[in-house]
Amino acid sequence: MALPASKLDPPVNQLVVSKSNPSFWTSSWRIIVKKPGRVIGFIIILLYIFMGLFGPMLYPKQLPIDPNAIYAPISWKYPLGTDFEGTSNLALVITGARYVLFAAFMAAIFTVVFGTVLGLVSGYFLGFSDSVIMRITDFILTIPSFPLLVVLSTVWNFGQPVAMGFVLGITGWGGLARAVRSQTLSLRERGFIEAARSLGLSPMHILMREILPNVGSYIAMNLLLTITGSIYAEVGLFFLGVVPFQVNNWGVMLNLAVFSAGAMSSAQALPYLLSPMLALLILTLGIVLFLDAVDEMFNPRLKEV
Amino acid sequence: MKGVLIRLSQRVIWGVIMVFVTASFTFFLVRMMPGNPVDAKYNQLVMQGLTPVQAMNKVRVMYGFIPHEPLWQQYIHYLNQIAHMNLGQSISYEGVPVLHLILTAAPWTIILVLTGLVASFIVGVLAGVIAAIKRSSPVGSAISLSGSLLHGIPQFVMGLFLAYVFTTLWVLLPFGAPYNAELTPGLNGPFISSLIRHAILPVATYALSSYGGWLLTMKSSVITVLGDDFILAAEVRGLKMGTRVRYIAHNAILPLFTIFALSIGFMLGGSLFIENIFDYPGLGNLLLHAINSRDYPLMSGAFLLITVSVILSNIATDFLYSVVDPRIRR
Amino acid sequence: MSVENKVEDFSTPIGVHVRNLSVVYETNQGQIPAVNHVDLDIAAGEITGIIGESGSGKSTLAMALMNSVSKPGRITNGSVIVDGIGDMLKISNERQRRVRGKQIGFVFQAAQNSLNPLSRIGHQVLDLGRSHQVGDLRSLLRHARDLLIRLGMDADRVLMSYQHELSGGMRQRVGIMFALVLDARVVILDESTTALDMLSQASVLEIVRELHQERGLTIVLITHDMGVVADLADRIVVMYGGELAEEGPTEDLLRQPQHPYTRGLIRAIPRISGNPDEAIALNGSPPDLQTFAQSGCLFYDRCPDRIAECQAGRPIYKEISDGKKVACYKVDRRD
Repeated sequence: MALPASKLDPPVNQLVVSKSNPSFWTSSWRIIVKKPGRVIGFIIILLYIFMGLFGPMLYPKQLPIDPNAIYAPISWKYPLGTDFEGTSNLALVITGARYVLFAAFMAAIFTVVFGTVLGLVSGYFLGFSDSVIMRITDFILTIPSFPLLVVLSTVWNFGQPVAMGFVLGITGWGGLARAVRSQTLSLRERGFIEAARSLGLSPMHILMREILPNVGSYIAMNLLLTITGSIYAEVGLFFLGVVPFQVNNWGVMLNLAVFSAGAMSSAQALPYLLSPMLALLILTLGIVLFLDAVDEMFNPRLKEV
Repeated sequence: MKGVLIRLSQRVIWGVIMVFVTASFTFFLVRMMPGNPVDAKYNQLVMQGLTPVQAMNKVRVMYGFIPHEPLWQQYIHYLNQIAHMNLGQSISYEGVPVLHLILTAAPWTIILVLTGLVASFIVGVLAGVIAAIKRSSPVGSAISLSGSLLHGIPQFVMGLFLAYVFTTLWVLLPFGAPYNAELTPGLNGPFISSLIRHAILPVATYALSSYGGWLLTMKSSVITVLGDDFILAAEVRGLKMGTRVRYIAHNAILPLFTIFALSIGFMLGGSLFIENIFDYPGLGNLLLHAINSRDYPLMSGAFLLITVSVILSNIATDFLYSVVDPRIRR
Repeated sequence: MSVENKVEDFSTPIGVHVRNLSVVYETNQGQIPAVNHVDLDIAAGEITGIIGESGSGKSTLAMALMNSVSKPGRITNGSVIVDGIGDMLKISNERQRRVRGKQIGFVFQAAQNSLNPLSRIGHQVLDLGRSHQVGDLRSLLRHARDLLIRLGMDADRVLMSYQHELSGGMRQRVGIMFALVLDARVVILDESTTALDMLSQASVLEIVRELHQERGLTIVLITHDMGVVADLADRIVVMYGGELAEEGPTEDLLRQPQHPYTRGLIRAIPRISGNPDEAIALNGSPPDLQTFAQSGCLFYDRCPDRIAECQAGRPIYKEISDGKKVACYKVDRRD
């Protein structure tokens, strides 16, 4: 009754502009290009993906050796020097990326699947399943995972990246499961689940369509963090030499450089040691820089700002 | 206080269950191993000319159970031995009890890990507070970035880097071995200073690799507490800066207790790298040695002890937490 | 804190004078004027009720009185002169700190959460005393005990308790104790009794009235409940959209409200004795960014009495009779 017509008038000042909802990809792109650091991170990650997918195709299956260029210094021909056989370190790093990255990717997939499913089930159904799952999660989180991996290496064949990824996933889902569970619980506290239930939605629908999008940011962040964590773990396993060397990768390079080539004391073997380290550090940098963007992409609270 | 004790006893029971599960895990792991090392050892001993009874006894001493028995009987035997603190005998150090080996190695690991933990905790927490308070200034972002980057660097890269820079490139500190072998161990000045000088780099590796974690957690915790009503109330009541900082620090540091135990697990995992790089005779190196020489009783023992240390520190931090947080004391 | 001083202190009540005060909130969509060029005199030794809907800027005004507006809010302009102290916005930070708590007590809207959860109430009283250079901490504790007893609580138990051991209503009273324990001369209660049930609200307000009479306290009572101010306040100030709409002595204002918004607020009070249907809710919603961008009266969209003039410019807040002020074109016309 007292609502005046002026409410319907066109707003004098368009401060609150409701943009048409942009697609996920466009808005993600916008978020990435907002800061130069994110762009750098994104480029680094793309570069590594490219390296993992196509790296081995760039070189012959058997990398050429050059007896005249053993531990050659850095040059145009050998941008990162050579190893004890005279093989280009750059070629070793590029061809060695596939195993490492693929296994880490698989590890992240397994982690996310286990962690998300168990966390959602635990937080949604509560009761008995919750206490069982949380006990197991406690257990997984308490057992020191790297020593466990080392012990498992005595029985498990890590030759296949999928096998490596599976073990890394099965030992590493604890943190994500806990985060997803607590997020689900907080949605429950806000009456979210009750409201959806009273609308007659099925548990499957509520879990998949209502809750999952709300835990998206945890999952996306965890995906990236698991990838880096897994890379370190597997490279570490190879570095320590507890896993038989079946394929060339960064960890094998590190191990040979330190324990066979004596790179710690001989300056000429240093590029052989530094090459895989550099590969690791640049990737870390890329992921750290990119995480910032991921946080904003998936975190609805940050998005509104 | 009663609440604390109930909580503590629940934790202890849970810890015992975890130890039991871990012990069972290593038992079945070794039994299920391709080529069954227990039977292989037995066969090897028989081949060397021992009678089956002698060989059987020897294997039993090593592993804590008798081959050829049904699996469940072996399992019962094994658990019984563990309950009596008998972890079997080492194969690679022939005849030496596993318990003796791991107890000799444990102090090297524990002292280094604890020193690194305390150092990184103090520095990381302080830096986290600064990063939170100055979060909109370049200083704050620089500190946060240092945390994210150091947090991201794997321990072995950190260890190799420090070792290279300070022992090869710039010969400042000794490398390898926990002390100078020419000195006689004991409470004498040169030996102790050698111990400390050798420990600097491994401790620094532990500390730098966990510094970032403390910093980032503390930062977000402080930011959360700064938004709490009671901090605003303290300001409006005119409490002194020092008092307010104390309120903030006390409240913000609590969530860190929950990750303290996790971080001990992380550091014990790192001991495999750090002791390997700096050649320390600790638990990590012992576990590696056991795996490389297929010394399964030693492997099970070392892994069990690492797990037990994590569980114990879990219980300890949980106990401390319930002491400092009145809300848990009910 | 000497006991002898108290008597002397009580004889000279302190007033607060707000001049041309503006506070804005920085948001992504622009600046929201939470308090807009406000002039207000809080008379010494009186109870001033500030009333308005949520979002009317009354809590921000309260915080601005102590120069404690928290981010993203920012005081852009004006002065807050406290008798005998000076301009709260200009004196040194250390002096500001000493005034807060000591001279001006503040009880929060969310007083349930205004205590450090990790420290006993008694310890927090001591922290407060140490921050304000109280020499005799023992007598401070005794004072706190007396206040808690007056507020109807088991004082010794409360002082030994942690926040989580007290109920919401108890915490609220503890918050009031904190505002009074240093014998502040001005006490600001920001929706402090809203969270309490009717009976405890009445008893707490009764205690506030008693203390006011005993000590000559200057009290600022911020609420959205017309019933509370009608009962307690000497003067009522009505805020709307960060500006003052009307003020006057309680009786006058209730009997002859001038501003249509004030009339709406009064009509919206349900009376236990009367017909509940007579209570009429106020239509429309509080001003938003769009409203602030318009040039006309902020209340225009919701006003039942609006005239053409109202859309053209903001009405000026001015005195219409002794002690009564209002900002409305219609009132101007009537004169």
